[in-house]
Amino acid sequence: MSTPKNDPLLQVETTCGTLLYELQIIWDEVGETDSDRDKMLLELEQECLEVYRRKVDQANRCRAQLRQTIADSEAELAAICSAMGERPVHIRQSDQNSGSLKEELRKILPQLEEMRKRKVERRNQFIDVLEQIQKITNEIYGSTESVSLKTVVDETDLSLRKLEELHRQLHELQKEKSDRLKQVQDHLNVLNSLCSVMGMDFKLTVSEVHPSLGDSDGLRSISNNTIEKLAIAIKKLREVKIQRMQRLQDLATTMLELWNLMDTPIDEQQMFQNVTCNIAASEHEITEPNTLCVDFINYVEAEVSRLEELKSSKMKELVLKKRSELEDICRKTHLVPDSDSAIEDAIEAIESGAVDAATILEEIELQIAKVKEEAFSRKEILEKVEKWLTACDEECWLEEYNRDENRYNAGKGAHLTLKHAEKARSLVNKLPGMVEALASKTLAWEKEREIRFMYDGIRLLSMLEEYTILRQEKEQERRRLRDQKKLQGQLIAEQEALYGSKPSPSKPQSVKKGPRFSTGGASNRRVSLGGAMLPTHKPDSLHSAKATPQTRPSKKTERIFQNDRQDDALPAFSAVRRGLDIADIPVRKHSSSAVNANELESPLVRKPFSPISSTVSSKANMTNMLEDNGDTLQKTIPTNDLSYTTPLKTTSLVDEENRTPKAMPIPVPSTPSTVSIPMQTAMTPAPPIPFITKPVEEMPEEIEQSFEERRLAFLLSKTQITSLIQV
Amino acid sequence: MTAVHPPPAPGRELSNPPMDGISNLRFSNHSDHLLVSSWDKTVRLYDASANSLRGEFMHGGPVLDCCFHDDSSGFSASADNTVRRIVFSYGKEDILGRHDAPVRCIEYSYAAGQVITGSWDKTLKCWDPRGASGQERTLVGTYPQPERVYSLSLVGNRLVVATAGRHVNVYDLRNMSQPEQRRESSLKYQTRCVRCYPNGTGYALSSVEGRVAMEFFDLSEASQAKKYAFKCHRKSEAGRDIVYPVNAIAFHPVYGTFATGGCDGFVNVWDGNNKKRLYQYSKYPMSIAALSFSRDGRLLAVASSYTFEEGDKPHEPDAIFVRSVNEIEVKPKPKVYPNPPA
Repeated sequence: MSTPKNDPLLQVETTCGTLLYELQIIWDEVGETDSDRDKMLLELEQECLEVYRRKVDQANRCRAQLRQTIADSEAELAAICSAMGERPVHIRQSDQNSGSLKEELRKILPQLEEMRKRKVERRNQFIDVLEQIQKITNEIYGSTESVSLKTVVDETDLSLRKLEELHRQLHELQKEKSDRLKQVQDHLNVLNSLCSVMGMDFKLTVSEVHPSLGDSDGLRSISNNTIEKLAIAIKKLREVKIQRMQRLQDLATTMLELWNLMDTPIDEQQMFQNVTCNIAASEHEITEPNTLCVDFINYVEAEVSRLEELKSSKMKELVLKKRSELEDICRKTHLVPDSDSAIEDAIEAIESGAVDAATILEEIELQIAKVKEEAFSRKEILEKVEKWLTACDEECWLEEYNRDENRYNAGKGAHLTLKHAEKARSLVNKLPGMVEALASKTLAWEKEREIRFMYDGIRLLSMLEEYTILRQEKEQERRRLRDQKKLQGQLIAEQEALYGSKPSPSKPQSVKKGPRFSTGGASNRRVSLGGAMLPTHKPDSLHSAKATPQTRPSKKTERIFQNDRQDDALPAFSAVRRGLDIADIPVRKHSSSAVNANELESPLVRKPFSPISSTVSSKANMTNMLEDNGDTLQKTIPTNDLSYTTPLKTTSLVDEENRTPKAMPIPVPSTPSTVSIPMQTAMTPAPPIPFITKPVEEMPEEIEQSFEERRLAFLLSKTQITSLIQV
Repeated sequence: MTAVHPPPAPGRELSNPPMDGISNLRFSNHSDHLLVSSWDKTVRLYDASANSLRGEFMHGGPVLDCCFHDDSSGFSASADNTVRRIVFSYGKEDILGRHDAPVRCIEYSYAAGQVITGSWDKTLKCWDPRGASGQERTLVGTYPQPERVYSLSLVGNRLVVATAGRHVNVYDLRNMSQPEQRRESSLKYQTRCVRCYPNGTGYALSSVEGRVAMEFFDLSEASQAKKYAFKCHRKSEAGRDIVYPVNAIAFHPVYGTFATGGCDGFVNVWDGNNKKRLYQYSKYPMSIAALSFSRDGRLLAVASSYTFEEGDKPHEPDAIFVRSVNEIEVKPKPKVYPNPPA
């Protein structure tokens, strides 16, 4: 181990040499043996070697450590680079051995530092992006848990590509988010318009879907759930809207119909213009706020129901109007309208809602048309009937006038009456021809139509026939009158001879009264004829009136007149009364078979209009009458219901027309006061019962008889007669 | 001119009608058999649903009334003063007894098991039909009346007797010795018909002067305040009323409404509680002599027959119509308000 001297090792070597030399000296002095000397020298040599070895080991270890560090750094660097997707900056030229290890290490460390720093930066970027992604995803998918911030970043892949990918993802998410926001906004807008149209609280509706949607500036939820809920809400509201719209449109249609039907004024319609303008609109066209709100619909509905009520009342009114029109036409054309009960029923039916007023109206209108048509066909004949009736009036007047003894006394307007009489006479002369023409016309009409020509429910032909018969009878009566007048003239002359005074001509006061009363109104005309026909025993519809109790009032009226002049009227009256009480049997019998000599019938042998053959018979009649005068008087009382006045009443008129003035002087047993009593009772609609019942009980039994009792009596009498005949 | 409502058919006319006036007709309580009495001296039994004549029973005089006993037998009141029991199956007749004058009306009381007859001899007689033929055994009692009996009606143990002179006596069948009530008709004219309400609270009474009175048995002021009378069967012609006798009243067994028939040939149906006319059937050819509802009220028998109100005169043939009754014609209508709440 020789080393240059200038170096410390050389110095150490020299020191070692000196030391060895010293040792030699020492040893020489000590006298060490050579072997010891060698042994010691070997020992020394070994110790030195040991020290060397240790140092080499240490150095060696240090070098390995250094190498390890470098390798580690390089590996880390490589890992970072690979993670970051970059080519490693430093390419190690391990073969080149460009420098010592320490140099190498010194070179690599800053690089590593640098890379680490970059890696951290990159990682932060990743975290940032991921966080955003996470947040948006949460918003979209609505994971309610707060954002799990510590996003797991994949440390192994921090490459830019990945980052870019994440960015793209983020971008997509952001786009989706904005899309969703827009969608939500759209939904909200739709909802808003729906709510406003239907008058609903938008905020409330929206908060029900999601509380975050309510406040306009806060973050809105855009999760799937929310959007779905929004869509459902919209659908629901739209359904409601359509429903309401249809309801409103129905109402509007009804309203328009009602307006049309009732000619509702424009200004009243104007108020509902906004309803009717939407009548044909489709769902999306209705946007005006509150058009479909519940209150508004209710309001419209109320209006419609008001209109409907109005309509039904108008319909009713119309039905009534039409009905009165129908009745009016019927009255004018002297047709008898169908039983009005049908119409009353109809009105009742309308009220109860069972029948539609329109159909009834239609029916009535149909009826009106029919009646009008019929009226048209009747017109010509009706005109003739009018003429005839006027002529009849004139005839009555003339008769009355002729009876007036003072007719030629010059008085106020006497010349006018005279003229009137002249005219009437000529008219009356034409009467038979008129009647004949009318009858033939009517016959033709009936033949053509094959229905009877009815005048106020009575066949015109039978009226004419009655009239002719009446006329004939009048003719007879007139003849009889003439005879009687002659007789009376003789009588008066006799009386004059006896008493020396001449009875004044009969006072025609009552005579005048009677006819006036009965011919008073035009409505009485037909009735007077109908009444007149009674005694002629013509079977006719009016006949039915005879036996039924309603004829009693007629008795009363007769009675009143008869009280003035009892003589002649009495038999006729009693005849009627009997007819009433015993249901007409005797009269009929009399006309059919004269075999019956029933004591009841005896006063009835004379027909009401048959001439009285002698004064004796008339007196007999009178006494007969007087006997049951009390009865009859009272009997008539209960019937004094003025509303019952029937055609029969006018028989008295005929009586009076036919009456001879001669009848007058015969004393009248009943004083005017008795007359007034029945009149008064006549006014009270309900006479006191005890007043009636007494007479009933006092009456002889045969007075009150049921129809069955009369029938049996009739049957028995008939069988008796037949048995008599058989015997 | 056509009526607003086309007149409904008058109902099915039964073939083989009586030859003379029909005095009464009644439906059985067990079937649709119809018993008809007539002036032609017969009682006839019809099956109304089959329109067949089941039997004809000759009498000694006109038959004025008849009623069912059960479905196989009935009773008749005849103008030959005799009360008979007729057994339909073999045409056998038992004479229950006699009155001193024609027997006008007859009723059978299921409650008392007795036959009650009213006669023009001014008596009422009760008979026990189970007794062997012979007046001593069958006659339960004779009860004098103030006048000739014109009409009878029964409900439960109540018997209402209407006589000439407008008397009305109300009896309790369990004690016939005295009338429970003696009344006077509230109508001014002769009574034609009296019929008790099916619910037993009163009776309807009709007169010859187109009027019907609705009366109540209960004499308390509150009940009597309810009574009233109304006009019907009148014809207004040229402002005058022609008034017809009301011959028949028949109560509907289910609804308690009633039909009246008059000499005008009309049958009207009334709701006595609401005081309303429910229906008017189209005019029948002759006076309505009698009416009867079948046991379930589905049929109405109408006797269109001259009732001699105008003495002997030619008239339409006597006929029996059986019509099916619509519920709407007889069911009481609730009061109609002029404007119904919307």
